[in-house]
Amino acid sequence: MDYLSRKYLRPRKIPSTACSGCGLGINHKAVVQAIYELGLEVEDVVWGTSIGCAGRQTFGTWKGDGFAGTHGRVYAIARGLRLALPPEKKIILTVGDGDAFGIGLLHLIHAARCNADLTVIVNDNLGYMSTGGQYGWTTPIGSRTDSSPYGMFEQNLMSEGMDVLNMLRYAGATFLARHVSMDGYRAVESIKKGIQNRGFSLIHMVYPCPTNFGSRELGTRNPLSIYRWIESKAAPLGEEKEDTVWATGVYYDASNSRPEFSENIRKNIEKIRRSIAA
Amino acid sequence: MKRYLETGNFAITEGAILAGCRFFAGYPITPATEIAEAMSRRLPQVGGIYLQGEDECAALHLCIGASLGGYKAMTATSGPGYILYADPYGWAIGCEIPLVVLNSGRVGPVSGITGAPGQGEFYLTRYPTQGGNFETIVLAPNSAQEAMAITVEAFYLSERFRTPVTILADQLITDGFEDISVPENEEEMKEMGFRTWPRKINRGPHFYPPTDEIDIPPVVLGHNTGALCSDWTPTEEGYDIEEVEAHHKHAYRLIYKIRNHRDLFNHLYEKKFMDDDPDLVVVSYGTPSRVVNTAVAKARQEGLKVGALRLINLWPFPDEHFQRSTKYLALELNWDGQLVREVQRAAGKDSEVHFTGCCGELPTVNDLIEIFEKILKGQPLARKGWQLEEW
Repeated sequence: MDYLSRKYLRPRKIPSTACSGCGLGINHKAVVQAIYELGLEVEDVVWGTSIGCAGRQTFGTWKGDGFAGTHGRVYAIARGLRLALPPEKKIILTVGDGDAFGIGLLHLIHAARCNADLTVIVNDNLGYMSTGGQYGWTTPIGSRTDSSPYGMFEQNLMSEGMDVLNMLRYAGATFLARHVSMDGYRAVESIKKGIQNRGFSLIHMVYPCPTNFGSRELGTRNPLSIYRWIESKAAPLGEEKEDTVWATGVYYDASNSRPEFSENIRKNIEKIRRSIAA
Repeated sequence: MKRYLETGNFAITEGAILAGCRFFAGYPITPATEIAEAMSRRLPQVGGIYLQGEDECAALHLCIGASLGGYKAMTATSGPGYILYADPYGWAIGCEIPLVVLNSGRVGPVSGITGAPGQGEFYLTRYPTQGGNFETIVLAPNSAQEAMAITVEAFYLSERFRTPVTILADQLITDGFEDISVPENEEEMKEMGFRTWPRKINRGPHFYPPTDEIDIPPVVLGHNTGALCSDWTPTEEGYDIEEVEAHHKHAYRLIYKIRNHRDLFNHLYEKKFMDDDPDLVVVSYGTPSRVVNTAVAKARQEGLKVGALRLINLWPFPDEHFQRSTKYLALELNWDGQLVREVQRAAGKDSEVHFTGCCGELPTVNDLIEIFEKILKGQPLARKGWQLEEW
């Protein structure tokens, strides 16, 4: 990460204060790698984050301009910002699963609805881990957390036929992918596609939390255990096994097929002004 | 100057556009819907953007995003929407984002009576969010024409103090039709006393200096200044930090940038018949003050030594008007008594403080004169239990 770090990240914030063994850094690196491979510079990206592990640990790491929104609201802030920034500026959001799929789901759906040019990386540690480890909306069924001591039994947004990515697709998102941290280069490729889409892109990236999720579900904080556990439940799309929880790859790619939010608004305002002038 | 017979909603919209507002995000709610409608019609004409949020919380967050990108932005709502601002309002205070927020008061709690005037958010506008450690600026007009002026002023103050400013109106101000003059150029704006302040860009690296100074440009993203803003306690550069000392510096700025520069807005009040040390000072704000002014003028004709104090700058509360020991009567459009609590605190123990509340409708001039007489004679206000309770 060193060459990427020196080019794009702030020494004050890297290395981060994440727990030892945390997988967030792998996701973070994949995003920065994608930015690098697309040839983008620091000034080309405004970086937004949210509340929780994923938000706090990535906030202020980007050398350029950055912001962190209140819990779940960063999608609405980013839409407002999208209208104010020139179209060539990329807005990349690194957020958590609770932020995106829980408290912020309404705003996320509306960001997808209007196809706002945002690249949302949902870093999913399988629940609310910065508050000690409570179940969330993508926690695998049966998993033990501090708030599901008997195993998670609620229907959630990963349950059969209820995939949150389907919901976002039919809400209007134009690029959707799912990965786990261990996907390496495949994840970087998806993030690159997401950034290149002039519209709403979301990449759901599961990452291992040894400290809270691993310790409750697997009974150990050994990072290798949770890494292996996630890896064993992930498989590329089309190669799923019976116990696959996370089928990885590009779910939906309709990049640049629908009018982008800010472009659409600007175009219509121009049309209104011309018709008034005429 | 162009004259209209129009609503306060119209006046507020025109005021915002004169002040340079080019972004409005709203959510339909009686009695502020017409501001959103007027903005959706007017803003595209001047190259601005109107957006409808998925709820009020989103609407104010959209405004925050637009302001962070350099727009002068505004939203408008009523009480039930204003409570959904709690989340973004706090963020805007903490990140010091210039914004204008209008609350047209109706009758609460909750949805209450939607199409009638109320003043139930006197304290809510002081504490629009959690956490404390901040000061807020709240302005209350009492007519459509003044609502326009106050909107322009709110934008001016929000830029200089880099903070959200709330305009606390009520249903009669926003919905009522009145004679409105709209200036057509800068010259006419100056004549009407309108002042504006351009958006400036903070170039860093110290975005949050530990000072009570104003006129520090706000953070604007997208200019590669390395600006950071977040909901956490910031260092001077904007990094998140969990230290009491850093938070003290942050809170000091949020509180004292406003408290130490009240001279920018503490002229916003109106006094009538107040030069001869009246025996009773009637304190009010917003629409009820118009009845008070009439009632006080009539009471004077009847020989009652009554004066009227109308607050326009509600918060920070202008204690200086209550130095003289006398009798005060707070008249409000609520029955629980909110303004009266501040009057009682500011007036001190040698003064006598009374309260009369009504809600959903205005008091009549005769009602008020009867109340003035009773207070001046030292008679109790209570007539039929809840109808006119002494506070």
